[in-house]
Amino acid sequence: MLKTEGVTIKFGGLTAVNNVSVHIQKNKITGLIGPNGAGKTTFFNCISGVYVPNSGHVIFDGQNIEGKRGWQINKLGIARTYQVINLFWKMTVLENVMVGMHSRLKSGFWSDIFRTPAQRAEERRAIEKAYEWLDFVGLKDNANDPAGSLPYGGQRRLEIVRGLASDPKLLLLDEPAAGMNTKEKGELDVVLHQILEKGVTILMIEHDMKLVMGVCDYIYVLEHGQLLSEGLPEVVQNDPEVIKAYLGGDDE
Amino acid sequence: MKSKTLDSKKLIALIVGAVVLLALPLVLPNYALLILSFWEIYIIAVSGLDLVFGYCGQISLGHAAFYAIGAYGSGMLHEYLGIPVFFTMIIAAFISAGVGALIAYPSSKLVFHFLSLASQAFGEIVYLLVSHSPGKITGNYQGFFSDYINLFGFELDTYTSFYYFGLVCVLVFLVIKTFMVKSKTGRAFTAIRENSHAADGMGINVRKYKVIAFTVSAFYTAYAGAMYLHLTKFINPDTFVLKQSVMFLTMLLFGGSGCLLGPVLGSFVVLLVNEVLRALQDYQMFVYGVLLLIVVVAMPGGLYGEVMRLVNFIKGKATKKAEVK
Amino acid sequence: MNMSVYGMLLVSSLAIGSIYGLIALGYALIYKSSGLLSFTQGDILTLGAYLGLTFYSILKIPFVISLILTMACAFALGILLEKGVIRKLLNKNVGAIYVVLATIAISYIIQNGSQLVWGTIQLNFPSVFSVSNVNIFGVNVRPEALMCFIVSIALMIVLHFFMTKTRFGTSMRAASMDSMAAESLGIDVSLTTGVSWGLSAGLAAIAGMLIGPIYGVYSTLGSTIGRKGFSGAVIGGYGNMYGAMVGGLILGIVETFSASLISSTYRNLIAYALLLIFMFIKPTGLFNERAIQD
Repeated sequence: MLKTEGVTIKFGGLTAVNNVSVHIQKNKITGLIGPNGAGKTTFFNCISGVYVPNSGHVIFDGQNIEGKRGWQINKLGIARTYQVINLFWKMTVLENVMVGMHSRLKSGFWSDIFRTPAQRAEERRAIEKAYEWLDFVGLKDNANDPAGSLPYGGQRRLEIVRGLASDPKLLLLDEPAAGMNTKEKGELDVVLHQILEKGVTILMIEHDMKLVMGVCDYIYVLEHGQLLSEGLPEVVQNDPEVIKAYLGGDDE
Repeated sequence: MKSKTLDSKKLIALIVGAVVLLALPLVLPNYALLILSFWEIYIIAVSGLDLVFGYCGQISLGHAAFYAIGAYGSGMLHEYLGIPVFFTMIIAAFISAGVGALIAYPSSKLVFHFLSLASQAFGEIVYLLVSHSPGKITGNYQGFFSDYINLFGFELDTYTSFYYFGLVCVLVFLVIKTFMVKSKTGRAFTAIRENSHAADGMGINVRKYKVIAFTVSAFYTAYAGAMYLHLTKFINPDTFVLKQSVMFLTMLLFGGSGCLLGPVLGSFVVLLVNEVLRALQDYQMFVYGVLLLIVVVAMPGGLYGEVMRLVNFIKGKATKKAEVK
Repeated sequence: MNMSVYGMLLVSSLAIGSIYGLIALGYALIYKSSGLLSFTQGDILTLGAYLGLTFYSILKIPFVISLILTMACAFALGILLEKGVIRKLLNKNVGAIYVVLATIAISYIIQNGSQLVWGTIQLNFPSVFSVSNVNIFGVNVRPEALMCFIVSIALMIVLHFFMTKTRFGTSMRAASMDSMAAESLGIDVSLTTGVSWGLSAGLAAIAGMLIGPIYGVYSTLGSTIGRKGFSGAVIGGYGNMYGAMVGGLILGIVETFSASLISSTYRNLIAYALLLIFMFIKPTGLFNERAIQD
């Protein structure tokens, strides 16, 4: 479904991501792990169109997408969340989800300003759908609150459904469990599997090893911008290189 | 759900408001009607600016230019091509929207504060062009004369008739604004204001929506400019200086940006301040500066934001009391 | 036209160009230290011209001392602005858009405020030198115009050495590149930012005192020059100190020559058109500084 071939990203003289090739399987949860500063988020930003790789290809559904803008990539069916929560704080929870639907709504400028019957019908359906999404992550009762007023875990979940609202084929999650307590992490585990059941493939960056090893079908390990190891969770877990990287590193 | 229970109350308020607005010309002297007509003009101009600043999070210091394009455009289309006045206003507004799009497209890749200077430079250019037009087609510093609005043979030659005409215009422009902001387009604007990177990630073509906001805003302000010309029947370049852009911005911010009623409130208050401080006309910029600074430092929601806070505070107290009982 | 006319044009374009350059330099300093755009530059120029006039012509203080006094006042004002308003707003976590708005508001307050103090009539800045003309290579030049250029270039050179050779200058540059890293190295970023604002205000005030004897002093003197200084900054490459000076000089030359050779009606228009053209077509300016693109 998503393939990268020799993706390299440089900032000035610094190589943040070096010749990384991955292959994300459809209907699987793939994990991307590695010590801080390994280039995981940079790699994500490259898939989602924030950065253009200096060399290499990103292929989604057989189409080269490197160099496309973020909004175009979203339209093609890749949604994402952010490591630092990036909600639209002053908009309501419901509106945040509806912004997430942007790519899938057909109304345009003229039908919006004249509020045509088709536009109205679409808005009504969109609101219903948005409530369904909020229900899915238990935020239905907060629909009309500003996004900024949600507790931390709620904000993380809102980010996930805001991404899902665009009906993506692939969802990129950047540290979805960061800052969550054990109970919330348990709930996240369930939510991730439910998303998978909806036919959405997941690629996620996560530091919580218990969560990663528990939910991921396949794992890539990145260190210093390079692919260090890949394989099934139990394989990666026992890879001496990976153990060395994690134990040798000072930050985990 | 929630709004339905409020409907009857809202309806009564609306009817009372409408009756008052319709009855005003019967009781007010001509001078007051002129002021109210200006209010209508400013509401439209400032509501347009609100789309750029309040919703999209971009500063424009050049809206006087669109005001000028509307006024001179309408006047010149009438004078030189003989098009009836009401149509000239609409054509001029479309021309202004086109010019707005031409400026907005390359500007849309700039960081917001550079748009403010680009738009200011654009404002200066338009001012220079209307004050030093080739062949004096704008009348330059001598000014430009035009006619009243002619609605299918009916000439709006009294303040009363203009007032009613303006009322309809305000209604139409505000309804369209409401439709726009409460739709996919408006949500895209707000998302860009809140976080343009996340907006991009959500599939919003940030540049396209910035251009749309600016273009529509240029249409609003130009239409207001055309109304201004055909109310006073005379314009000169002095109206279209930077001070006018700053006045629009002050009206918007002081009233409250990013909402329907902020521009309505703000344009009224600043208009009143201007009238009251007529003797201090040379110091208007000082007054605008102080008002802007107050908003930035103490009340980012503007007057409307403060009023709503007060309303919520009273409501909150009321519900607390009810709970105690 | 003969050579001496071109010579005169060149001198007056370098004079006004270096004033644009000084203003542009201030924009660059502020941008580098805070990542912001301050609209106050031009109005501080006006204030500088008025203060200089007050010191020199009313209080009869010698020109050089007046210049230093004016610079010191503006420096203090710049720091006050940063510490008293900008920093406070940033700490309150208001969006950058409101901070820029605050500088717009302050600019009008300074502009109209100086009108309140010094009146609406254009004031004459008495000439600084006893001779009204000096002859250089056969070209008659006003000494004040020459002073503009020489003092500006001198300031530029001093600033260059200050930024590259002194400890404090190096800290300022480090802070502008990566404020977090600089802070962890023990650099007082709050101080370097304040000094940057102070310096840019000081430069603007000096520019005001240099241009005053040539243009006369009035309350909107700086708002036009401020905008043109901004054009200069964009032409050179926004945020680049050297680009600022080069851009300012280029603007001065293009503007002065086209005004006298083609038509002076659209003198200001040329500066604004150049600004828009650069912004839209080459936003990185001549020195390829990537600052103003989103």
